[in-house]
Amino acid sequence: MPGPSEREWSLIAFTLLSQTAVGAFWTVAAAFLMTDRRQGFLENRVFTIPFLASVLALLGLAAAVSLAHLGRPGRAPSALFNLRRSWLSREIFFELAVIALVLILAILRYRGRETAPSFRTLVLAAGAAGLLFLHSMSRLYMLRTVPAWRGLHTPLSFLATALLLGPLGVLAGRRVLFDFPGSLHAFQSAAVLASLAAVLLVILTVLFFTPRAGIFGAKTETLRDLPAPRIYPLLSFRLLYLGAALLFIFLFQRNQNSGYILLAFVCAGVSEGLGRYLFYALYGRIGV
Amino acid sequence: MTQAFVRQYAFYYDSSVCSGCKTCQGACKDKHDLPLDVLWRRVYEVTGGTWKKDGGLWVPGVFAYNLSMACHHCRKPICGEGCPTKAITKRDDGIVLIETLACIGCRYCEWACPYGAIQFDVERRIASKCDYCYDEVGAGRPPACVAACPMRALDFGDFEDLKKKYGGTSEVFPLPEASVTEPALLIKPHRDAGRASKDTAEVANWEEI
Repeated sequence: MPGPSEREWSLIAFTLLSQTAVGAFWTVAAAFLMTDRRQGFLENRVFTIPFLASVLALLGLAAAVSLAHLGRPGRAPSALFNLRRSWLSREIFFELAVIALVLILAILRYRGRETAPSFRTLVLAAGAAGLLFLHSMSRLYMLRTVPAWRGLHTPLSFLATALLLGPLGVLAGRRVLFDFPGSLHAFQSAAVLASLAAVLLVILTVLFFTPRAGIFGAKTETLRDLPAPRIYPLLSFRLLYLGAALLFIFLFQRNQNSGYILLAFVCAGVSEGLGRYLFYALYGRIGV
Repeated sequence: MTQAFVRQYAFYYDSSVCSGCKTCQGACKDKHDLPLDVLWRRVYEVTGGTWKKDGGLWVPGVFAYNLSMACHHCRKPICGEGCPTKAITKRDDGIVLIETLACIGCRYCEWACPYGAIQFDVERRIASKCDYCYDEVGAGRPPACVAACPMRALDFGDFEDLKKKYGGTSEVFPLPEASVTEPALLIKPHRDAGRASKDTAEVANWEEI
């Protein structure tokens, strides 16, 4: 069956960029909430302007590339008209909500208002909007006529991507994004989140390859008939394992060499890109 | 037919007499002036079976039949459920239409429809599909495909009336279970359609539809 989604490069870029941005925000939000409790409000500078600007840039770029998917990008604002029934409308709504909330946080931080109680509320609201954004994103693919997308692996893999690429991005860019030295909760929470995500993804890939693995629709037969070069899944999984290995080497190093984490981020990014390509390539609906 | 009494327009299709001439497909394309690669009505050629050895003799056990499919103006149109702009609407007479000015060309409806009814119009950059020739039907004439069929394999009208007149089913291989979208479609299956779901059968003409 000729699927409509053989080369959805704009959606691959949109999903990966936005999931990375949300994951990075969650990482620093977790550090912010921990710091807030442990060190007092005034000491908290973890939401830096470069970091918030980076999150906004990623989300803005994601939104821009997603327009390339539309036949009539000029009419994109009307995609918000069906919030009552359409997960696509909700996805866009929550994406805009995250952008607006992060923008307000950046303005407050720029004006030195990060100690205001509203800042903490806004951080929580932006984190929740990010979760709803990812939830809407995965639900819109879980069509009852597309078995390959309908399974639990869709939300799990989207969440795992956010929790892997986001924290890895924070770790990889920590010298540029943050203006303070030393060990910080931001990096600790990033390491924990990325490690958990890497382990989750490794388990997912092992289950993916296991015949009759129950919760996953994809069987080994599906991989044989994959409408994409067969090297893609193998390369994707191996790069993921390599990225995970580099992450753990970085974490257990005494002087934490940045080269390892940068390479881990690149490996994980390419792996997730190939994985997302395969996700769209696996499109196949029931019927004709 | 008195249009005031139509609650759900539907198509009837007799697969047992269809010769696969594709006149319906051509008539639709001509009437709506559809661009290249857009077919609001498509004729699927389903083939299956195999040759079997009976003693020293090879006996043909192959079969083939046609399925002429358009939009089935479903009672639960899954295409419209996810449309972010509410561009897909269902009229009181059951006809499902795409409002071309509202469509943003996200192709989400195309992903969802299990009948391949939604066709992306590359020239206009929006989704398109069979509109049941509502202008013709409104003027008391049949849709172009129905009018053109030389085998009289197609008919149209109110779903309940067609059901009383012909009976039929909407679950013929390789179509999905009717419960998914509740299509307004009645088919008299080809005699080999039952075998298709059991034997190895496939659509043989993907390249042209």
